[in-house]
Amino acid sequence: MIYELTRDDMEKLYQRISQEYETFGAKEELGEVIFSRISSFSEVSEEKSSYSPKDFLIKRSENILEVPRADKKAVFGVKSCDLRGFQIMDLQILNKDPFYTVRRENTIFVNFVCNEMCNGGFCTSFGGPVLDRYDIQVLHRDGKYFVQADDRYERFLTGFKISQDQNVFSRHSQEFLQRYGKIDLNGIEKRMKWNSKLWSEFASYCISCGACNYSCPTCYCIDVYDDETGRKKEWDSCILEGFTRTAAGNVRPELSDRLRQRFYHKFKYYKLSKGEYLCTGCNRCVDDCPVDIDIKEVITHDYDKE
Amino acid sequence: MTLTVCPYCGTGCQIEVDYSGDHYTVHGYTRSVVNEGKLCIKGYQGLSYAGSHDRITSPMIRRGESWVNVSWEEAIDFVVKRLREIRDRYGPDAIAFQASAKCTNEENYLLQKIARMMGTNNVDHCARSCHSSTVAGLIRTLGTAAATGSIRSLKSTETFFVIGSNTTEQHPIIGTTIIKQKKMGKKLIVADPRRTKLASMADVFLQFRPGSDVALLNSMMFVILKKGLIDSDFIKNRTEGFDEFAQEIEKYPPELTEQITGVPPDLVEKAAEIYASNRPSAILYGMGITQHIHGTENVMSVSNLALMTGNLGKYGSGIFPLRGQNNVQGSSDMGALSEFYPGYVPPDSEKVETFEKLWEAKLPRKIGLMLSEMFDAAIDGRVKAIYLMGENPVITEANLSEVEKGLKNLELFVVQDIFMTETARYANVLLPASSALEKEGTFTNTERRIQRVVPVKDPPGEARPDWWILSQIYSKLFDREAYGSPEDIFNEIRLAIPNYSGAKYADLYPDGKQWPINDQHPDGTEILHVDRFTRGLGKLMAIPYRPPSESPDDQYPFILTTGRNYYHWHSGTMTRRSDILERESPNPYVEISVNDAKRLSIRNGQTVTIESRHGTIKLPAMVTSKIPDGIVFVPFHFKEARVNLLVGENLDPYSKIPEFKVVAVRVKA
Amino acid sequence: MKPIKFRMETDDTYTMVFSKKTDSHAGQFYMLSVDGVGESPISVASGFCNPLTFSIKAVGSVTRYIMEHRDAEIGLRGPYGNVWPWKGSDHIVAIAGGIGIPPIKALIEDMESEGNLHDLTVLYGARSPRDIVYRNEIEAWKKKLDFRVTVDSGDSSWNGHVGVVTTLIPGVDEFRKGRAFVIGPPIMMKFSVQELLKNGFSPENIYLSLERRMECGIGVCGHCNLGQWYVCESGPIFRYSDVMNEPELFL
Repeated sequence: MIYELTRDDMEKLYQRISQEYETFGAKEELGEVIFSRISSFSEVSEEKSSYSPKDFLIKRSENILEVPRADKKAVFGVKSCDLRGFQIMDLQILNKDPFYTVRRENTIFVNFVCNEMCNGGFCTSFGGPVLDRYDIQVLHRDGKYFVQADDRYERFLTGFKISQDQNVFSRHSQEFLQRYGKIDLNGIEKRMKWNSKLWSEFASYCISCGACNYSCPTCYCIDVYDDETGRKKEWDSCILEGFTRTAAGNVRPELSDRLRQRFYHKFKYYKLSKGEYLCTGCNRCVDDCPVDIDIKEVITHDYDKE
Repeated sequence: MTLTVCPYCGTGCQIEVDYSGDHYTVHGYTRSVVNEGKLCIKGYQGLSYAGSHDRITSPMIRRGESWVNVSWEEAIDFVVKRLREIRDRYGPDAIAFQASAKCTNEENYLLQKIARMMGTNNVDHCARSCHSSTVAGLIRTLGTAAATGSIRSLKSTETFFVIGSNTTEQHPIIGTTIIKQKKMGKKLIVADPRRTKLASMADVFLQFRPGSDVALLNSMMFVILKKGLIDSDFIKNRTEGFDEFAQEIEKYPPELTEQITGVPPDLVEKAAEIYASNRPSAILYGMGITQHIHGTENVMSVSNLALMTGNLGKYGSGIFPLRGQNNVQGSSDMGALSEFYPGYVPPDSEKVETFEKLWEAKLPRKIGLMLSEMFDAAIDGRVKAIYLMGENPVITEANLSEVEKGLKNLELFVVQDIFMTETARYANVLLPASSALEKEGTFTNTERRIQRVVPVKDPPGEARPDWWILSQIYSKLFDREAYGSPEDIFNEIRLAIPNYSGAKYADLYPDGKQWPINDQHPDGTEILHVDRFTRGLGKLMAIPYRPPSESPDDQYPFILTTGRNYYHWHSGTMTRRSDILERESPNPYVEISVNDAKRLSIRNGQTVTIESRHGTIKLPAMVTSKIPDGIVFVPFHFKEARVNLLVGENLDPYSKIPEFKVVAVRVKA
Repeated sequence: MKPIKFRMETDDTYTMVFSKKTDSHAGQFYMLSVDGVGESPISVASGFCNPLTFSIKAVGSVTRYIMEHRDAEIGLRGPYGNVWPWKGSDHIVAIAGGIGIPPIKALIEDMESEGNLHDLTVLYGARSPRDIVYRNEIEAWKKKLDFRVTVDSGDSSWNGHVGVVTTLIPGVDEFRKGRAFVIGPPIMMKFSVQELLKNGFSPENIYLSLERRMECGIGVCGHCNLGQWYVCESGPIFRYSDVMNEPELFL
């Protein structure tokens, strides 16, 4: 069911949710959009946040000897690409990583559907900004808020006006696609070449900062280690040499090996094992890359021509 | 999320941090003109040290062999009492202060003020070991010891000349600016003994022998002179000393210098032509230029090259000494140097009277002991007390055995730090300080940008910000009112240093400003020397080549050069507490060329012995094609193999910087 | 948990026995941990229901720590991973190189308890006589099953076979219709597979136990992938025909 809310209604919706959930939102601070506690819907920015909301579910680091538990949180203003990232990660780590799982179950993401393609974004290659699955999905269009909720959260929408236009999301999706087109993935999982010069070219620029991993809404790899205060897990980066190093040696000693792994994981391995690409077209890895390595080049590169 | 500045290198990336408990989140500040939201691996993974369980959390006094926790009051009273006793008994010059480029401007300002008000100019810090030669050199030739442009202006540079800087590892975000420009077709010349990442993508790579910088630069200038690529108008209108300079340059045809530098003449010619004709050109340099006995002359040669081609004062051109520590520019500006009061005022200058008025105290007029001299003076008894803030000289100083000997000989050794460092073990008093993530103040980055530092977490236990500790000591020592906040101190800095005079504390946030900030330039100054040089005319200097202090011979056939790697910071106190950074670089190593390793039957990973005239260390070999034959490289991060045991005390006569970059050694399997 | 027995096998390899009964089947592994040091995946060396045993070469921080602190409290998490698919096959040729032998010991014990030892041939290659693990057990095994040992280079005390373990493979070509299990260093596995294929074994009947950097053991940390598979989740044992096209297989 699609509801049609006014701005005041959105505030009411926020109030209903905040009765049960601690509320966070994409919010403008010091000129950029970050995630922060909010106390009103009016604080929520509709701009794309500077980083993905990944650490709501996978903390940058935490002690795993502690019992996994989670407060109920609602996060407003998440972009669809970021939420889709969680849905894709679910396929690998939900019900395996107890910390991720308990937070996933206790967090509502209120995703905003984009009206315009963000700079460099290519979400249309992965289905575009309208999601089939969501907690609560909001489309702010023509001065109205069109809202739909998963069955679990439909109760928050009870009493609001039911929209006359029950096709607004799918129409928006089509229009968005028409307006921005899409980069054809064109069976990328079969096209990529192991010995492509692309990997060494990327490696010649890459400084191993890890930004592509840390910014990515689908990168879930973690480092597990002990220190004097416990056993920790921490965001890891497959671009780093130590990621696969063992006492016996390293399967990916060269930076080009590791960059290839990243793209093979995104566009081949995950597709084969889970049926989805491990990418949402959010362009965050490009935005944060200090040397402008563009994941889109991996898709558009003509491997046969090499 | 709190916006602050990364505590690592001089780039001064703005970071947003959310630090709660032992967990933190960090992002690059996307609106930052410095880093535009980008960070390197140390920015992303290197902040966990602040939450480390082994922070010092209480003031401690050594009683016999053991440490006793004491109250702040007791600790400060003890320090004040002992400092007074030592001053009264031996005179003020028996006390030496070591400031820190990791600390804020306010803290460094306060520490040097305490020293000078006590009556000594014995205050110095690690800038001595990194860019004191830059200060000595650029003050002489241009009048201002700082980068002449901004990081942003490098986007307008046509030719980058990177010499003695492994920029992508040491100032990664500046390094990536160069990479991006290079990708867009700009020219890149790299001069370095090691094949760095930038070297491998350079248009011209000059792989020269360590210590032959002057010969290399002079021969580039020879080519520029011969081919008429000089900027005659600029030389005529903006510089002095050209004739004498040109006479010296005549002596360095590339065919002749090849024997010294090992660089083929055609490469020198190509580099010279590109640098001189494809303008604006910017020179970026690091410790490869400065850490030599002729460091100051190297810097002046760099300055010559820019001056003769008119590559100063224009957007996209300039000289960029890449400052190592996050606040080494600021701590130098603050006068935490034994030969300069704040704002680079020499002790014998009449301008010292300004400080006497401002501080209401009689101030010492003779140059104090420099960092490297303080330990010698401790050995021979001239110095009886050292007050050290946030440095770890037992790992980082040259001529280490002397450092330890000196420390053992002291009557009072006060260490203000966040960890029980290798150095802190020698202390009598330990004052638990705050990390950069737990305090307020300002840092000045490598492009002269004063940026606000904002606490993102509380200090652990009884630990306090350095400014607070110093303020308490200052108050008790001189019976003055303590400062209420870093802003109070900053406001005094504005009165003390003309270049900071127009910087309003509140206006430095969120965006910092580049000094000079004054009535003429209320929003700061992006490019220096636009119409005139700070000293008036730019000074071209005749610099003859002199060999390094140690040359390879039969006994010690290799040249050892030292430095940092990408993952670690200095003595590792911070980075080695990050699991990921430690995983990436867990062990000391010596880089040795494939040929040399083969000749000496050294396998990759095999433990080898390195001996110099000054000491011996053992560590695993890393066989690599990055390094040429005859040269070995060892990073100085590892207490397991302290490479500075091998480095002698050969000092640059102008700046007293030790020659960390050229040591004759032998390598044994 | 603390081991009830601790024995050095070689200079750097040791065996620990716990009072706990083995609840894994041959081929599986546990995550062994020491608080404050770390966690490490270790193959189980004992058969189902026997006292839980691990034989470990001290190469990393955890394994070295345990060797140097024999009374350390050891955390055990598992068992994880799949098992050697020995059931339903005519004959098994297990080829172990170096410290790959412990899961073969588990295999011997599992097969023995079900009375199948006559279906097993083990080829074990060590670098030198000094590097041979399970000296005592080997003497007993030689009496119970077809167990062949070789060393890369012998010494005066050695009068057995000398040569890399692949040199023993032509001698087992009679079992080419059975299954071959291979475990050891990557280079040894690579040449063993080549030799097995040459001697008529089919890719579908060759199984490899792989080792990768593993931090979680449950498919979360992302370190141990071979192509689309996580070794902890889909392995450690893989059928060669499934993974033969993975370029990183023998790295």
